[in-house]
Amino acid sequence: MLTSKCLKGVMTGYPLAINATNIKVTEVDFNPEFITRVIPKLDWEVLWTAANSIGHGEGLPKILEPKYEDNEELLKKVHRVLLEVEIEEGNLTCPESGRQFPISKGIPNMLLTEAEVQ
Amino acid sequence: MEENKKSERKRKRFSARLYSSKGIVCSNTPGPKIVLCNAGQATGLEKDNIYNVIKEQRLDIPLPKFIAEKGESHSFLVFDATESAVLFFNICNGKVKIGENGTPLYLNFVEEVPSTEMICSLDNPKGLLLLNNFITIDEEASFLKLFNWNPESSNLKHRQVKHYGFEFRYGSNDVDLSSPLKEKIPKECDVLWQRLKEHGFNLGTPDQLTINKYSPGHGIPAHVDKHSPFEDTILSLSLGSDVVMDWRHHSGKYVPVLVQSRSLLVMQDEARYDWQHGIQPRTYDPVIEHRRSDDSKNTIRVITSDTTPRQTRVSLTFRWTRTGPCECKYKTLCDTVKNVSTDNLEDEIASNLEELHVHQVYEQIAGHFSTTRHKPWPKVVQFMEGVPAGSVVLDLGCGNGKNILRRNDIVQIACERSTGLLAECKEHILGVSGADCLRLDLLRVPLRNQGADVVICIAVIHHFSSKARRLQAISNIHQLLRNGGRALITVWAKDQTKSNYLCKNKLNQYTETSETQVSVGGVHLPVHENRTQFKHKDLLVPWKLRKVNNNKLENKPEDTLLRYYHVFEENELDQLCKEANFVIENSFYEEGNWCVVCKKK
Repeated sequence: MLTSKCLKGVMTGYPLAINATNIKVTEVDFNPEFITRVIPKLDWEVLWTAANSIGHGEGLPKILEPKYEDNEELLKKVHRVLLEVEIEEGNLTCPESGRQFPISKGIPNMLLTEAEVQ
Repeated sequence: MEENKKSERKRKRFSARLYSSKGIVCSNTPGPKIVLCNAGQATGLEKDNIYNVIKEQRLDIPLPKFIAEKGESHSFLVFDATESAVLFFNICNGKVKIGENGTPLYLNFVEEVPSTEMICSLDNPKGLLLLNNFITIDEEASFLKLFNWNPESSNLKHRQVKHYGFEFRYGSNDVDLSSPLKEKIPKECDVLWQRLKEHGFNLGTPDQLTINKYSPGHGIPAHVDKHSPFEDTILSLSLGSDVVMDWRHHSGKYVPVLVQSRSLLVMQDEARYDWQHGIQPRTYDPVIEHRRSDDSKNTIRVITSDTTPRQTRVSLTFRWTRTGPCECKYKTLCDTVKNVSTDNLEDEIASNLEELHVHQVYEQIAGHFSTTRHKPWPKVVQFMEGVPAGSVVLDLGCGNGKNILRRNDIVQIACERSTGLLAECKEHILGVSGADCLRLDLLRVPLRNQGADVVICIAVIHHFSSKARRLQAISNIHQLLRNGGRALITVWAKDQTKSNYLCKNKLNQYTETSETQVSVGGVHLPVHENRTQFKHKDLLVPWKLRKVNNNKLENKPEDTLLRYYHVFEENELDQLCKEANFVIENSFYEEGNWCVVCKKK
């Protein structure tokens, strides 16, 4: 969902590239109904790329097949990537300007300085 | 023997736990660095506790450096040498208890300690000059003797003051030139003007002197000396103790400056007119070092993790009085700029005002603020409970995250500008699946348009200081929502008659004292008397900062910070929502707040 579109000179600023230096995985309860409802709201290709870029893309198909709601194995993988894998430390990079946004203690900092905004 | 084994097992268990939860690698080889496994900032451990242990145990070693990270229940000690660390280890590990009901301390050697040093790359504010060793030790002693007045004679809440020449009036922050004081600036000070001349400052003789006596733990809130009543130069002579003075600029710049005893601080130019300065109320100051940079061309300011205790400090502030409007070129903190209404406040000024009286204040009060905000408002809970499963919800200005529900069937993204509050929020949402934190500014939202099903924005919009910015914030909410998406927005109401906010005792009280005003960018902002009806639409609301110690609030407030608010008239919020193209579904007054539920067509 994140973009760097507010940066001066940046058109879409999406998707941001992820670079993780510390990843935390915490188990949380699996709620298949919730995952099924969230999938249509996702930009699947972006999710797939992001998951692979941090080494957690294993088992995720590049193209989402229809009838995913019955594929429990797929739902579990999405559940893992969305809810269990968290980037503790790292940064996000704007695809157009190269500006980096740090992620520290699990919180991305998307604040811009006055000089950076359009 | 049995005891030893047990203690050894415990120590190892702590070591494993530190590794798995914090990534701290303990070492079996002794070295100068030690981790205290079960005592830290979160357990109330202070540097003094450790130093007392060393004193009581009669350890003949130099005091170690103490590193305690915020919110952690472990901490570190760095000794001068391995031998000292081993001595301390052998005496303390599994034996020494800290506090009344304390459990024994467990220690491990470590290779690395976190660096909590902060580098401040900024120079001193322009126009700020520190003349160290301006007076001799003997002169300091005689000044201290000269100004040692009866402590009961004059008192402010956190420090003692005395005036010469003219009395400084704290309500209006100026002097009354028509009633000079009998006591003039003592002639013993004349030596200072002579010496200033030798430093190239030919300033003449000031006519107003204020003496402040600060005991350790006392401070002074961030302020600028009011422009129009005083001339370009203000002097401050420090006696008795070093102190760290914080300098803050409306651009967000922050520079801590070590002010040594026997130094003379000369404030001119930007430092005099465009920066706020203050002293934090604490008994210790961080040790600030000036180190050569790697290429040894420049010196850099390093705020180390080490601290040094404060003594009683007496400061002599010398000013030159003047009349007429101020002629400085700095708008933001000037009291002479043309009086304007906030509805058409220039964006730059509005942004500066919010930086000083919203953003910086929240960073400072985050911990205390969070302890006073436990329960979400019933109407917000009701709204959040009604959010359909599978929805993406944005909480814009989430504070400590109290409005994030423990639901596992929706996505909740808690967004906030204050890092202090975000840290509290991150802890609060721990274990809520689908909840995440994000640092952003509501005026420049880094999220894709139409990505949210629901937005809540609780008690946020009233912190924007111009109508254009309030409308921008609501328009941004509109953009973030998908078509058909809904938002709940609440703001503080000017009318507080039907809320619990008003204190009954103050209801019919008419205070005759002149209202304190602070001016920012030509806007005169009255300082509100808490728990009374609002008399103005744009104002500063005092926050009495109290320290949180062991999860308990300390009784005495230690600092007063001023938060900017624009309080809303009836229908004002509705009107803004309509201007942002929202359709209003429900609009109501709840406990002193105007609330709107609106929908994107």
